[in-house]
Amino acid sequence: MNSPSRRSPLHDRHAALGAKLAPFGGWEMPLEYAHGGVIAEHTAVREAVGVFDVSHMGKARVTGPGAVDFLNTCLVGDLDRVATGRAQYTMCCDQATGGVVDDFIAYRHSDDNVFLVPNAANAAELVCRLAAAAPPEVTVSDEHERHAILAVQGPASERVLDELGLPADHDYMSFVTAPYAGTDVLVCRTGYTGEHGYELIVPIEAAATVWDAVLAAGQPYGIRPCGLGARDTLRTEAGLPLHGQDLSLDITPVQAGYSWVVGWSKPTFWGHDALRAERAATPRRQLRGLLATARGIPRPHMPVLSAHQQVGQVTSGTFSPTLQVGIALALLDTAAGLSPGSEVAVDVRGRRLPMRVVKPPFVRPSAR
Amino acid sequence: MVPEQLRYTAGHEWVATGDDGRVRVGITHYAQEALGDIVFLQLPEVGTVVAAGDVLGEVESTKSVSEIYAPVAGTVATVNDAAVDAPERVNADPYGAGWLLEIELLETGPAGPDALDGLLDAAGYRKLTDA
Repeated sequence: MNSPSRRSPLHDRHAALGAKLAPFGGWEMPLEYAHGGVIAEHTAVREAVGVFDVSHMGKARVTGPGAVDFLNTCLVGDLDRVATGRAQYTMCCDQATGGVVDDFIAYRHSDDNVFLVPNAANAAELVCRLAAAAPPEVTVSDEHERHAILAVQGPASERVLDELGLPADHDYMSFVTAPYAGTDVLVCRTGYTGEHGYELIVPIEAAATVWDAVLAAGQPYGIRPCGLGARDTLRTEAGLPLHGQDLSLDITPVQAGYSWVVGWSKPTFWGHDALRAERAATPRRQLRGLLATARGIPRPHMPVLSAHQQVGQVTSGTFSPTLQVGIALALLDTAAGLSPGSEVAVDVRGRRLPMRVVKPPFVRPSAR
Repeated sequence: MVPEQLRYTAGHEWVATGDDGRVRVGITHYAQEALGDIVFLQLPEVGTVVAAGDVLGEVESTKSVSEIYAPVAGTVATVNDAAVDAPERVNADPYGAGWLLEIELLETGPAGPDALDGLLDAAGYRKLTDA
């Protein structure tokens, strides 16, 4: 990991906005902006609109005759459940263990062309696994640095896209390609905040033009540039998992409560046997939400206690700007018999923070 | 953003001396800016006796947590409950409404008022944070 961090095509824009930068999956990206901060940026997305540069996210394309059929033999999701022009949240699991290699959205352009947006840190691994398995007629290309991604999220996001003349009224988890300023913008009704929103996938050369246009169009609505700090508090409130914390090679979709993404009726996919066996036997641990009932903030890796015994571990934890309390996602041992309403404690550097087991999301999303 | 009349620690606490044998303690502008939005303060009980360098509590932001150390020895005389209830005060006004607590200095000896001599003055702190 000694290689220098990669930078977004919008790096200069972020610097001009006084962004505090931090490393994310090998990229140097904005954590928060001057005159903003995590809470102001978070609130803008919940109440108005915010724009995030998420160009660090991976981009990969699987093309060739039978691309969809090939992916269906690898990824857990059943791509035949979604039509052309629609996207699917899916995962790539390890063949032997069923642990999650990566979770991502697959955009079905056609039977022969599927675009994937994996996590920055996992993009190369995903491309490597798919390329190794692909039949000769199917090509897996890493397009990581060819596209920028801008997420426009929040209740006013639709009006911002209207102002720009971009299509905005398509369904949740669908996408439309639209011309804009001499280029093509892929307008996806997707996001990672729990709010109504869009992800705009644009060629890298057009990134600054589109970024500037979004900020200008959003000004009447109180738009803020938002960093990855707010993205994390927003997704945690929405109960959305982050790979590397709530999902990993050691955590299966069944344990994480994401059995619904698995196309169980498909004849095969990577991790099929392990996941099927785990589902039949009840997983040994399950991802739950925890809501603090006193002041304090749970953080990843903190032990979860019930009657002074460790019954799990926090995987994501933060302060919820919306609820003004600590919230967490935690993997809890099934044997502990905890369910929504159970009282537990999190060991916060030697102090016991009382928390209640809840079913996420913590904040009811309006994404659809 | 480094007021002249205050004293400072290398750990980014400030100390204001009063006439009543008490000092007021907070974190600096530099510290609050580095932490980002502060959302939680863990402060000691009034009456707690502390030695210089003891952990007094924690200041936690949306993204990180930082311990606060006692800049001087003494007894915790007051904590700023208004800041505990609204930690954003520490961001908004770190040297004013966002103060954290007051410590009653020991009357004599090496831990007495002379203990302040070990702290940085504004010029010294400025030099530290400009580096």
